[in-house]
Amino acid sequence: MSSNITTSQTVGPFPHEAWRWAFDATATLHGSAATIVVSGVIYDGDGTPINDAIIEAWLPDAVAAEQAQAIPGFRRVPSDDDGAFSIEVSLPAAPVSGKPVMFVTVFARGLTRHQFCAVFLQDDPGLAQSEILLQVPAERRGTLIAHKQAQGQYRWDIRLQGEQETVFFDYA
Amino acid sequence: MKFDTIASGVYPELIYPPYRSTVKRGPTQPALRIHSADAVQTNLAMHASLLLPHDMDLTAQGQGQPIGEKIVVSGRVLDEDGKPVRNSLLEVWQCNAAGRYWHKRDQHDAPLDPNFYGLGKMLTGDDGRYRFVTIKPGPYPWGNHDKAWRPAHIHFSLFGNVYAQRLVTQMYFPSDPLFDYDPIFQSIPDQAARQRLISRFSMEQTVGDQMLGYEFDIVLRGRNATPMGL
Repeated sequence: MSSNITTSQTVGPFPHEAWRWAFDATATLHGSAATIVVSGVIYDGDGTPINDAIIEAWLPDAVAAEQAQAIPGFRRVPSDDDGAFSIEVSLPAAPVSGKPVMFVTVFARGLTRHQFCAVFLQDDPGLAQSEILLQVPAERRGTLIAHKQAQGQYRWDIRLQGEQETVFFDYA
Repeated sequence: MKFDTIASGVYPELIYPPYRSTVKRGPTQPALRIHSADAVQTNLAMHASLLLPHDMDLTAQGQGQPIGEKIVVSGRVLDEDGKPVRNSLLEVWQCNAAGRYWHKRDQHDAPLDPNFYGLGKMLTGDDGRYRFVTIKPGPYPWGNHDKAWRPAHIHFSLFGNVYAQRLVTQMYFPSDPLFDYDPIFQSIPDQAARQRLISRFSMEQTVGDQMLGYEFDIVLRGRNATPMGL
């Protein structure tokens, strides 16, 4: 093997106590930026909700709006007993159409490698020109789209396996 | 920053039936290799103010001394060019000397140590080095199969200097007789890659009659890291 990189291992079922400081540090937002909430459920290949996952979100375009936060532009949330998660997103002052509203990293017991993906909003007029989505096979792009519910509320589920398996990335 | 393709076998298999939980959780489609400037250029600013006084000494978080063998673990975090990954957040977590995690869902019938939680975090220095003091974790049974016992290990979470360098891994201890029987360790096909997860006993890191030392260097994905400004 040519590469000497350190290989990945699962977080296992018990990372929550060590990771909780960041749940706490990123749970509440203070600032004047408009926010939306992206909520969903993470499912395994049987459609069973995963109750021990942890979702991280990276929002590079929201960093400016979150300078008062402990870790600007970052979220970490656990899935609950029903596999549900919810992430509050600060919208940038001048959103760039076609960019993801957040990059996402998924961790769980049984996931030997954390999984990268990204989320886009259904009502973003720039989806058809998105630099990232255009690299994704058309028939799978829908797995990265959050659907509008009520005002400011979007629904996006993560499926680790199955017909609607979420597209996961390896960054080049 | 440039991210080479990971050589086949270096990362664990996503579906590895001997590790039962992977069967319904591992994605079946290969990861889609894409370009995203945000993912490979932007960094997460972690501030030293997030660190608490005893985050780097896991033996000093309770009212008294924890039970077990006190050790010190140190190493360097590097990129694929061998350059230090500096000012980067590491988190560590582990079970206690008896093999029990400080976690409400750990039902293993081993004692909790009231003076040991097994939780730590730290930033790498300018040379990419980290160092923390802890108790050597014990092996523990985990119900995956008959006689399933995990080799002693410490979990590591690393952020790197850009988003795509994120890594979670585990550090093992030299000469553990459980390596050959552990499906999590064995889920990595390449033997050399597996060996890189085993720390090295270090007399240089050993501190007098206080604690034995272990070295564990970590190479994150990405070439030509630590660009100006990070």
